[in-house]
Amino acid sequence: MNIKNLKKWLGSFIFIGGLLFIFFSPGMAGTEIPKTKLPVLITSAGQSPDVMTINIVAEEAEIKYDYCDVPTAELLGAGVGLADKEPGPGFHVEINSDLDKFPKGTPYKTIIFAIGASLKGMGASGLTVESEISRLKELIDYCKKNNIFIIAAHVGGTSKRGAPGSDNERMIDTVVPFSDYIIVTKDSDNDGRFSKIAEEKGIPLTQIDYALDLVDIFKQIFQ
Amino acid sequence: MSREWKIKAVLVIITAAVMAIGGFQLYSHRHYMTPIIAGPGVTKATKLSEFFKGLKGTKADTNVFFLEGKEEGGKILIIANTHSNEPAAILTALVFLENAVVDKGTLIIIPQFNNSGGRNTKPGDGYPLYFEIPTEWGNKKFRMGNRNASPLDQWPDPDVYIHYPDRQLLSYLDVRNTNRTWPGRPNGPLMEQVTYGAMQIMRQEKVDIAIDIHGAETMFPVTNCIVAPEKAMRIATMTSLTVKAREGFDNHVEPSPQGFRGLSHREIGDYSDALPFLLEAPTPFLDQPTGPKSVDFLLDGKDPFLVKLSKKRKLFVPYDETGWPMDKRVGQHCSVILEIIRQYSKKFPNKQLKIRNIPRYAEVVKNGVGHYFHNPNETDKKDIYYN
Repeated sequence: MNIKNLKKWLGSFIFIGGLLFIFFSPGMAGTEIPKTKLPVLITSAGQSPDVMTINIVAEEAEIKYDYCDVPTAELLGAGVGLADKEPGPGFHVEINSDLDKFPKGTPYKTIIFAIGASLKGMGASGLTVESEISRLKELIDYCKKNNIFIIAAHVGGTSKRGAPGSDNERMIDTVVPFSDYIIVTKDSDNDGRFSKIAEEKGIPLTQIDYALDLVDIFKQIFQ
Repeated sequence: MSREWKIKAVLVIITAAVMAIGGFQLYSHRHYMTPIIAGPGVTKATKLSEFFKGLKGTKADTNVFFLEGKEEGGKILIIANTHSNEPAAILTALVFLENAVVDKGTLIIIPQFNNSGGRNTKPGDGYPLYFEIPTEWGNKKFRMGNRNASPLDQWPDPDVYIHYPDRQLLSYLDVRNTNRTWPGRPNGPLMEQVTYGAMQIMRQEKVDIAIDIHGAETMFPVTNCIVAPEKAMRIATMTSLTVKAREGFDNHVEPSPQGFRGLSHREIGDYSDALPFLLEAPTPFLDQPTGPKSVDFLLDGKDPFLVKLSKKRKLFVPYDETGWPMDKRVGQHCSVILEIIRQYSKKFPNKQLKIRNIPRYAEVVKNGVGHYFHNPNETDKKDIYYN
């Protein structure tokens, strides 16, 4: 085999290998993963326990986050530290942001919504589906006005989906079309609903096989 | 003798024969001993009564095995057969007991936690008295026990069981249920003494992780899961996400309710420094609307009525004609325990545990659980214990 043929052969090999990598790269599918910045607030859209999964995955990815299950727009506006609000029944707060880098009051750059409706969770926080939706709308308005990057994450699979108009779908309708980035597990998007919203609204979307794949995604987003 | 007396005599003889045959079977079951083999990792074999003397000489006393690594590290306690009608638990414990090699840290195993329950049965549900696991050297025979301790060992039952120390009112039967009598007390009913003995192990040995292995109905929402309190939630969640991603089986996390007292996943966490985890594998045999409670059903988990219910979406796990075989249940337990250990060691590097020679899910499903049991006839007698 002469050098010219060898180069051609190597070129084809690399091209095919690249294609195979793109098609079969483990865990993720979709558009390029966008970048965003800390500080970040993790919260719930619908009060399902999936927000705990997101928190634990963020911890695993060594992302220092603040968490509040039911923040208002006013609380979000208070920035890092969430105005030193104390947790209480139906109201959970955790402040894990690096306070040396982001002192209390630093405006959040990113918010992550863990989407999934739980009547039990909403009830424990004294919310109804209507009041939860209204709270979420206010938060999203605030984020849009203040350039806070919105990540919509749905990792609950089919158990956190439902018929059109059901609680879960209403949470999706409230958050996903207004987000800047969508992350879903494949089973969450098995009817292509998230993909359709992403396509229609031009929102980047990453589909993952398992919630655990979020660890790598979070690392890349907050690089 | 008149005709009437003859009939009476025949009836008495038949009744006596039924009682004698049935009684003999139940007596044999209660006293049947399964040989269990201390594997290469076992460094000490003792009894629960070593930790609470009040159990000595009772049917509630039970074997406790220590597998101590050469290097110091974290300590884990595995409790099996809290409910002896959920036998994937003891099979998993024996896989660890007969095979595990501990390089770092300490593994403590109680294979038959409710020893009295393991010698009890449930005739009203038509439970088989024994079941056998096929191995390469023949069948290994086990007693099939019951959820609660035998009334022969703890009697009478109260009208209502008042839990100690929270005074929550529980079913009268729960006074014999070692997953309602935690944290126990030295002067309480026998089953409270059993859980107290285990708490003493955890306190004296400074146990870091406590795993209580169970099985649950497919029609019960708390099935195929890890139940954990707040302080163990992170490790439970990472374990659940990891086994799903790496080994392909579901095992979701259920929070341990604060208001439901007496359960291991609640009281161990509240009354010791250990992180508790309760593992539930789907056990179709425990469901109510099924066919006969046969040994085959216990082992393969196949039932046509459950298939119909599954099609009507009445079950909490995927279920079809393949059932939910014992190997799958034991494999899940093995992988989940190994993953909890891995996650704990990652989070607490100064209390690492290194345990090897334990199969994961896919291996147990491929080889069958019997593959991991050793032949007592080819084992040194000093390594054989009777359960």
